[in-house]
Amino acid sequence: MSKYETVIGIEIHAQLNTNTKAWCNCELKINGFENHYVCEVCSAQPGTLPVVNKQAINYALMLGIATDCNINKTSFYDRKNYFYPDLPKGYQITQFHTPICEDGAIELVGESGEKKKIRIERIQLEEDTGKSTHYNDYSLINLNRAGTPLVEIVTKPDFKTAKEVTNFLKKIQSILVYLDVSKGNLQDGNMRCDVNLSLMPKGSDTFGTRTEVKNLNSFRSVERAIEHEKLRQADILDKGEEVLQQTLLFDVDTGATRVLRTKSDADDYRYIPEPDLLAISVSEENIEKLKNELPELPTDKVNRFIKEFKIPKYDAEVICSEKKLAKYFEKACSLHNGNAYKKISNWVMVELLKLVNEAKADVEKIKLTPKHLVELVELIESGKISGKIAKDIFVEVYDTGKLPGEIVKEKGLEQNSDSSEIEEIVKEIIGAHPKEVEELKSGRDRVMGFFVGQVMKKTQGKANPKITSDLVKKLLGL
Amino acid sequence: MSDFNTIYDSHLALKDKKISATELCNEYLKVAKENPNNTFITLTEDYALNKAQEIDKSGIKNHLDGIPFSLKDLFITKNIRTTAGSKMLYNYIPPYEGTTSSNLQNAGAVLVGKVGCDEFGMGSSNENTPFGPVNLPLNKDYLPGGSSGASAVSVLEKSSLFSIGTDTGGSVRLPANFCGLFGYKPTYGRVSRYGQIAYASSLDQASPFARTPLDIAIIMDAMTKNDEKDSTQAPIGAMSSTSKILNNKDKSLSLVIGIDRSMIENCREDVRENLNQSIKELEKNGVKFKDITLPHLKYSVAVYYVIATSEASSNLARFDGVHFGFSSTEGHDLENSYALSRSLGFHEEVKRRVLLGTFCLSSGYSDEYYSHACKVRRLIYDDFQKAFNECDYVYSPVCATTSFKKDELMTPLQMYMNDLYTIPVNLAGLPSMALPYGSSSLNSLPTGFQLIGNSFKDEELILDSHKIFEVLK
Repeated sequence: MSKYETVIGIEIHAQLNTNTKAWCNCELKINGFENHYVCEVCSAQPGTLPVVNKQAINYALMLGIATDCNINKTSFYDRKNYFYPDLPKGYQITQFHTPICEDGAIELVGESGEKKKIRIERIQLEEDTGKSTHYNDYSLINLNRAGTPLVEIVTKPDFKTAKEVTNFLKKIQSILVYLDVSKGNLQDGNMRCDVNLSLMPKGSDTFGTRTEVKNLNSFRSVERAIEHEKLRQADILDKGEEVLQQTLLFDVDTGATRVLRTKSDADDYRYIPEPDLLAISVSEENIEKLKNELPELPTDKVNRFIKEFKIPKYDAEVICSEKKLAKYFEKACSLHNGNAYKKISNWVMVELLKLVNEAKADVEKIKLTPKHLVELVELIESGKISGKIAKDIFVEVYDTGKLPGEIVKEKGLEQNSDSSEIEEIVKEIIGAHPKEVEELKSGRDRVMGFFVGQVMKKTQGKANPKITSDLVKKLLGL
Repeated sequence: MSDFNTIYDSHLALKDKKISATELCNEYLKVAKENPNNTFITLTEDYALNKAQEIDKSGIKNHLDGIPFSLKDLFITKNIRTTAGSKMLYNYIPPYEGTTSSNLQNAGAVLVGKVGCDEFGMGSSNENTPFGPVNLPLNKDYLPGGSSGASAVSVLEKSSLFSIGTDTGGSVRLPANFCGLFGYKPTYGRVSRYGQIAYASSLDQASPFARTPLDIAIIMDAMTKNDEKDSTQAPIGAMSSTSKILNNKDKSLSLVIGIDRSMIENCREDVRENLNQSIKELEKNGVKFKDITLPHLKYSVAVYYVIATSEASSNLARFDGVHFGFSSTEGHDLENSYALSRSLGFHEEVKRRVLLGTFCLSSGYSDEYYSHACKVRRLIYDDFQKAFNECDYVYSPVCATTSFKKDELMTPLQMYMNDLYTIPVNLAGLPSMALPYGSSSLNSLPTGFQLIGNSFKDEELILDSHKIFEVLK
């Protein structure tokens, strides 16, 4: 394997979440009652004509702007002709000769912090097909999806590793979601990825024959398929054989790829300019308008959070990786009187994400709202409760939606800062642990934790840890 | 039988209550039901009578109120069988309404039925159809031309006062010429193609047959409403050529008409005689003829058969037996079932054109054929533009011959050459009126010529055709 260099390029199809389909006024309800969201246009009745969905064009333009593409002032639709039952027209309307956006790029940051530019060759507008479901001796077709507007994003062969590919996918996904142009969900099929991979001898500048692995529906599948395909091709090359130009399907169960079709018979899609649609003309004003109205992108938000909330880059990136999470955090910060933003960030990144991920919950719909979180952080900050108590009641707040202050009050969990009360307990513990007292006196500071812990145990975590350790020192004359 | 046979005269009679819409409808339905020339595929008798009765109740307002008409069976009519003249759609009942049908019916016209055509509009004789050839009423040994032959015949036999055909390469102007009627091919993009079964999308245009330019004007006014369902229609609103004709006071023909005389020289003698005669008469009435050359027109047939068949191969892909239309149940797998459904559902001429188009678009050939044809198409357009710099219209034969006999054997290529003079107009997207003029000294069948206008000069062309008709008739 070390003899070869891996060359990977990808194609991403993303369904645009427009109000209606690409060429007709049908609602986009792919999972609605089968064949219910279908009209004469998307079922390709004879005599029907497509009408362009302007929203889809704007969405593609927004994506082009966000990925630093050149916008073609004039671009065209083409027909890609092939027969398949879930393609009722017998052709897909796409953009072959001149796509709406070209020559963009996205910057990735590698594990060791190095920057790498992934070039985008083109972004083109097209349409989704219907859905076929195959049974033993028959197949069913559902046209609810037929005519769903798609963008296809094609990269240059700039990737070398699976990690780079998934990082790129995550970045594209978050851009799609930030722009609100697609749900961008691989699992649900509204974002799909095909991987083109080839090997070449190290140091060579001539690409090898590539294979295309289709319809990978999770980041994990993308990584596994790439690792498998790398080894499979290396194996072939090692034997002195030739890699065939094939379209492959990844099998999630076996982790292997299998041949869908061999391209030796050169797929001939007989492209022809779509005579039923006019060229797409994009004015400079429209581009400017979209630029001005473009929602904040993930990278910009990360930078702003670093500056505004003084949180580390790592925190900002984790929080901004998901638009909803970033919104949650920002809301919490805006409700907070003070500057404990890093504390808020910690709670969001660690405790909150843990519960949300476990429950696969939508952060916008959970009972623990930014208001709850801020109240909790402020209870800690003001010394009213300890961090430990906060952690303990966090789950309860999450489950019930009760305000943290209420729970603290109900359960009497307020931190005990009464020195004389704590002093009694400290005395008791010092008396019971002479060995540890000696150790502490001899300079083993770590033992302090033991004493504080014992006091906490006795007080169910309510003793103020600072006062407790001060008292230990005072009583032992340290 | 009523003694008026134009839309306008019938309208006046209806308005003056000399005849009721129901009576008028019955007169035309009678012929349609007898169907002496095998014109009709589907008769809509009850539908027509209901509509006529409604109109009698509500009174005559529009020019088209109560006017019986027929549609070439390429036009979609909701809940009324639409076959495209093909076995493929033998039982196809559309679930939606096409724009041509709705525009005319909303304007008050009464649909008598759906008439035959060459399958999917592919042909020049109206013979390429499982529904059988249509007779030329003037001499039943002859054909009306195609592909909209039956539409022309329905007007001629008086089963309709007007009919709408489709003109992709001359499919309306040729039958109009063979039948002695006016046939009008609008500027590409002047009328909506929504609900018109596509043959070659960049060339197809719904086109009316009628007995006078005034009738053509009445029909075109109703057909040119903006339709947001067709993006290739120019959103410039409906024409008002009827009032322009009715209010026109200026009878003079101070026109400059360009003519490439080599076109006339290539016509058969009987046709040539009449064309020359028409030129003389027009000159007598003030028209100035100017010699022009249209050097690239000689490539028209070749260019047309590359572009039209390429588009057709894609447009007809949806007829695969899966979602609608004829489906062979014999197929043992998907590919085989496609092959059988399409082999058995389409006739020879359609298969020939689909195969030709598929070849022209194939990788490796697309650049040589399709792309090249598109470039020459542009040169043909440029030829006309040069001509329009110095003239108002271009004069051209419609066909080098008159109608031909049913048993006249022609190779496909000979058949294609019938459209030599009509095809350039579609390639350039221009409007053209086929005007009847005289009859052949050889077989007494109608002859005529066409006037080609510049893009979107439809109203002017129809008005001038009216003026010419007035002096030539």
